[in-house]
Amino acid sequence: MRVVRSILVLAALGVLACNAVAEAPAIGAAAPDFQLTALDGKAFSLSSAAKAHKAVVVMFISTQCQYSNAYNDRMKDMANAYASRGVQFVGINSNKTEDAAEVASHAKSHGHTFPIMKDPDNKVADLYDTRHTPTVYVVDSQGKLRYAGRIDDQTKAADVTSPDLKNALESLLANQPIAKTTTKAFGCSIKRV
Amino acid sequence: MSVPGHGIWVSGGRAIVALLVLSSLAAASRSRLAGELDASALKQTVAREKGRVVLLNFWATWCVPCREEFPELSKLQTRHQREGLRVIGVSTDFPKERAAVEKFLAGERPSFPNYRKKSGGDDQDFIEAVDSSWGGELPFSVLYDRAGKKVRVYSGSLPLAGAEKEIRRLLAAR
Repeated sequence: MRVVRSILVLAALGVLACNAVAEAPAIGAAAPDFQLTALDGKAFSLSSAAKAHKAVVVMFISTQCQYSNAYNDRMKDMANAYASRGVQFVGINSNKTEDAAEVASHAKSHGHTFPIMKDPDNKVADLYDTRHTPTVYVVDSQGKLRYAGRIDDQTKAADVTSPDLKNALESLLANQPIAKTTTKAFGCSIKRV
Repeated sequence: MSVPGHGIWVSGGRAIVALLVLSSLAAASRSRLAGELDASALKQTVAREKGRVVLLNFWATWCVPCREEFPELSKLQTRHQREGLRVIGVSTDFPKERAAVEKFLAGERPSFPNYRKKSGGDDQDFIEAVDSSWGGELPFSVLYDRAGKKVRVYSGSLPLAGAEKEIRRLLAAR
């Protein structure tokens, strides 16, 4: 009996381990909900934010990754530009190598006033199977995932030919189908625990 | 330019400038990069290695885990060179960081060839061409068997012990 119980416990642990990193959520499906505390101490819930806005842009960012840093100004500009149109931008830092103080200092120096959260034990990154920074997700007011991928196709703002996040938001706000719902770009692997 | 009493210094100065220019030209011609590759040229490069086991590694100078695993890739190449392993590195650094790439390679002196991803185009096309499961994260490695068939991809840092075991298995299969 004890052996059977041990096997059951091990099997349960195995299931938990397998579930630790989920599969990437599908476009059109419910975006996995999460709650985190922002650096300013305020609680953030994705489902609540989605209900209160036309869209929420969840950005996985880094303080040290050059690819992520290449987008600092664009993150700030887009967050400011879309705030008045009912879109909330939030930043998530899942890197174990970048602590809260460093993330706060980075946000201040780059004028990032949108909510930024540390993701302890990279649980939210695992929930979305997010592998690198920067990666962005657009969640609509129904809590459905509508876009996943890059901000645009070029690290140099002047060379952008495909502003993918902007295109997705414009389509969403105009109640039009999003032409490109998933995109890819180079980035830095998230340093997981 | 003529400065009374300083003619020798001026001509000496010109010679030094000329030497510096020549030396920088020579350094440029001694690039440690094997060349630039787009997705198509990369496929051809891997195909040319048919008969060897190939480990393709994508890296960047600013990518800390890439830098950390780089010396291990060199050791891996050296350990299994005679059995037929070919490690190939591909830098995905920004075009403006070519000097940083050269400096990094000069310091590392890798035992395997390194290319630079050709600038321009949409990175997504390059990423998809390498492997559809690749999201663009670095480092990223792809292992091919002697027939040139893709056997495995490694997202993030290479799990060295496991990867070497797999490489040994592929090298043993003739």
